[in-house]
Amino acid sequence: MAAPSAAGLGRRLRAWLPRLTQVRWTRYNPSFLEPEVNKELYRKPWDELSEEEKEKQELRALQPIKAAPPSVSCSVFSDPMISKFTNMMMKNGNKVLARSLMAQTLEAIKRKQLEKYHKAPEDEKEKIECNPYIIFHQALKNCQPIIGLSNITKGGKTYQVPVPLKDNRKRFLAMKWLITECRENKHRRMLMPEKLSQELLLAFNNEGPIIKKKHVLHKMAEANRAYAHFRWW
Amino acid sequence: MAAPAYPAWVGRWVSGQWRQRKRPPLVRPTRPLVLADKVANRRETAGDATCITEMSVMMACWKQNDFNDTACAKEIQMFYDCVARAEKERRENEDEETLSPQRNLTSSKVNKLLRRFPNITRYA
Repeated sequence: MAAPSAAGLGRRLRAWLPRLTQVRWTRYNPSFLEPEVNKELYRKPWDELSEEEKEKQELRALQPIKAAPPSVSCSVFSDPMISKFTNMMMKNGNKVLARSLMAQTLEAIKRKQLEKYHKAPEDEKEKIECNPYIIFHQALKNCQPIIGLSNITKGGKTYQVPVPLKDNRKRFLAMKWLITECRENKHRRMLMPEKLSQELLLAFNNEGPIIKKKHVLHKMAEANRAYAHFRWW
Repeated sequence: MAAPAYPAWVGRWVSGQWRQRKRPPLVRPTRPLVLADKVANRRETAGDATCITEMSVMMACWKQNDFNDTACAKEIQMFYDCVARAEKERRENEDEETLSPQRNLTSSKVNKLLRRFPNITRYA
């Protein structure tokens, strides 16, 4: 019988020491720092930085830094909310299609707003918002619910208890509602960018089915406000 | 599942061969006697629901203004501030409890630790 290999011996020894050896994970060492993508910070001359910024820069020169993920870019045109929305719209990994749909949506919003702008009389021209990014952000903000409902079981019965939501959850719900609404309630021949631009413009003005859905949620929370004491956090 | 295989001396000890009077085995293990990699969920002292006053103020405002968010912006901001404060306090309390040597860990923290150092059930 050949002599047992060192690796096998090591493994057998570790089997004798359960709970003392750590499982192997793939993750960065905690000393790795996040990459700084903001170009403006690097363009500032050294003297203009404040004390803490100088310290931070010196630390970054010495500590290792994680690789920047491909979804993060330092261009002025990249927006994390828009990227998140595009990812949620994506189906089967077809990012090209999702990005083109998003671009077409923003273009459609701009076209509609420009049409309104040119038709409007002089005094109302300033009130019309033409920047599609601002419209997108404001519409999403208007769609975000303020409290949510969560199922809490007490004494065998499940109650819907009004509960404050985290920011991530609010953003996710707003985007999810928008996308499902545009996928389900549209005419067979209508394309996604057109329907999305319609919904975004309605949400920007606090009208439309998504705002109604948000109000329905708020009304249910208001009706169940007596159960708010069932929360324990 | 077949009965787990233990060394012979375990069987002799459990069977009572080394005792003066033989007794029937008190327990016959059906599953292997191995510790699991998690503990049961234990509910710590249930806290109170936070921010109820702010929530009721906000809901009263909603009722008056027909659920219009722009009209109730101040109450909504107060509610958000209260929620942020309560979350921060909860985090601090949790850290305090974990760092002091007298208190035990919560079951979720113990499970996280055990997941990093699990029981090795098979080896090459």
